[in-house]
Amino acid sequence: MNNATTLSKIEPASYLSEPLPLDASKRLEIDRSLSVPILFLMRSSFFSFSLALFLISICAVKLVFPSFLDGISFLTYGRLFPVAYDLFIYGWAIPLGFALILWLMARLSATPLSHIRILTAAAHLWNSALFLGSLAVLAGYGTSVIFLEYPNWASFLLFVSFLLMGLWVLLLTQERKERALYVSEWYLLTALCSFPWIYGTANLMLTWGKIQGSAQGPIQCWYAGSLMQFWLTPIALGTIYYLIPKITGVKIYSYYLALFGFFSLLLFSGWNGLSSLIGGAIPAWMMSAGVVTNIMLVLPMIAVVINFYWMFQESEKLILHQSPALRFVAAGIISYVIATVLSLVSSFPCFNAILNFTDYLSGTFLLFFLGFFGMTLFGGLYYFIPRLTGISWSSSKLIQFHFWLSVVGISLMVSSMVLGGMIEGVAFNDPVITFTNILSYTLPWNVLVTLSWFLLLLGFFCFMRLLVTMRWEMIEEKLPMPR
Amino acid sequence: MNRLRSLFLIIILLFFSSWLGVVVYSYLELGHFKSVAGSDGILPPYYSGQAILGARVYAASGCMTCHTQQIRQLDVTHSDIDRKWGTRPSVALDYLRDQTAFLGKRRMGPDLSNVGSRLTDPIWYYHHLYEPDQVTPGSIMPSYRYLFHMQKIQGELSAQAIPLTGPHAPPPGYEVVPTKDAQDLVAYLLSLKHDYTLPEVSAETPSAP
Repeated sequence: MNNATTLSKIEPASYLSEPLPLDASKRLEIDRSLSVPILFLMRSSFFSFSLALFLISICAVKLVFPSFLDGISFLTYGRLFPVAYDLFIYGWAIPLGFALILWLMARLSATPLSHIRILTAAAHLWNSALFLGSLAVLAGYGTSVIFLEYPNWASFLLFVSFLLMGLWVLLLTQERKERALYVSEWYLLTALCSFPWIYGTANLMLTWGKIQGSAQGPIQCWYAGSLMQFWLTPIALGTIYYLIPKITGVKIYSYYLALFGFFSLLLFSGWNGLSSLIGGAIPAWMMSAGVVTNIMLVLPMIAVVINFYWMFQESEKLILHQSPALRFVAAGIISYVIATVLSLVSSFPCFNAILNFTDYLSGTFLLFFLGFFGMTLFGGLYYFIPRLTGISWSSSKLIQFHFWLSVVGISLMVSSMVLGGMIEGVAFNDPVITFTNILSYTLPWNVLVTLSWFLLLLGFFCFMRLLVTMRWEMIEEKLPMPR
Repeated sequence: MNRLRSLFLIIILLFFSSWLGVVVYSYLELGHFKSVAGSDGILPPYYSGQAILGARVYAASGCMTCHTQQIRQLDVTHSDIDRKWGTRPSVALDYLRDQTAFLGKRRMGPDLSNVGSRLTDPIWYYHHLYEPDQVTPGSIMPSYRYLFHMQKIQGELSAQAIPLTGPHAPPPGYEVVPTKDAQDLVAYLLSLKHDYTLPEVSAETPSAP
């Protein structure tokens, strides 16, 4: 079997993102089978997201007023901040991404789900591990490894429950009735298969068992980079490759460009995390590998963006204006471009010497995380939720509020972090400037960042308000309540 | 089914390239570094038992959220050494004894790789942990008051009592003393001294100006 030839022999149908319209009863059967586990995963992810936003807002206030809630062990910045980030990732990004994988894979392979109980049970296990793990970090049992702060029993439970959920989707691909493999599926399968591997490996070496300290640095950075490029990026791109053709009715512009974008992403991902150790205690070749791959990650970005751009060009302009989903997706794509360019700049050693350890890198990460992944997935939710529940959004005004509050919030936050970070970095490099002086330069930027977290919180409330209205309608119309 | 299988194969191959290159290489090479014999004993030196406990307090308090422990190489930047945060760049061997390598990603406070050489008075550390903004005006470090407790003075003032005069001073007849956790933490911070000379370091990098 030759990989290259089998992959290139793709029939024209796969230029579409989904099998030709399924008949209505079939689609309903698939959606019914999905709604319970998916809505459960989504609800818990929204809960974690609001909690994470709330905690990170407290952290942001603490940076401006260090005496705010200080001297209390479980509210100290060093515990609250990691918990907020872990809730963002393990509470929101992963369950939500998984819910989208589940939906898209079922739709794309035209197979309804069966035995959803195992899936729901695994999701409950995930949530319990997340909740107990977060409490443990607040109580002082955290490991202090970036993004792997949960104590070993909690991370092990998370790992097991993800395996249970993931195996479930893999079985679905075995039972698939639709033979063609779509672009979205490439990305989603990548995310699904690689997450347990990277999470398992990183935990095995850093928290479950601890390898010698001299080797931990590169592995910590590998994990953080892989989490971005093997989970956040593929899920967001898979969602976009599904949504744009689906909503606009335009075919994927170039199949080969999509193929190139996909494989180049896979090739350079994983190495890119090493770029955060520029000048650090690693062999020189590792540092160079980090720099080169982080720069090369521009290629997959350009490939997918050209594809998306032409699809937007060919679609009717009216649809772009009317679809809230596409508007969020467009904001996501723009964030992806800017975040990749910002990260490219900071990976040149000469700039990295200034920008490393400053808010510039945090801002780049947040643009990637909230702007690219977050906005894209909210776009997906605006498309999927009405189809799962059968109820349309009650207020386009609230959707607009959510959109604009998020856009303004993210732009304000990222620009203040990037600018503040540059100033901070230049000051760091001048040893005459004392450390406390540098802190006073960053203060005004921290005020702006705090403000933008509150804007994001407000935007998310608009989204929650929409969901609550939807629930009321469900009760009034006596629809079967998704448990 | 063929196409699905070949897709999986390619995903796995590409994925494993970085896994092998970063994770397996690090584990096999860096993870098996051996300590070296220096002029004054085995390098890097062992942590004391109290310092090992202190490293756990360091992890539990999330110090690494704002403090790094890495001095960057001179061909990238001189600023870390110019700021007197260290006398030489960090190397992988420096982390040999660490249960968890607290490299850190963000500097909202100074680097701590060599804090034990810079500041040697335990009372200074206690005072700073208790009310950072009084010791270092302008600091945004939060207070770690929960690592201390107030007690009635029994006879003489304890040797470890913090000399507090500001807004957090205890009422007359009382003193603020560190808990076991604070003592361990300070023992750990005092042992952070990566100023010994390692053979590989002196051979490869020029000394700081």
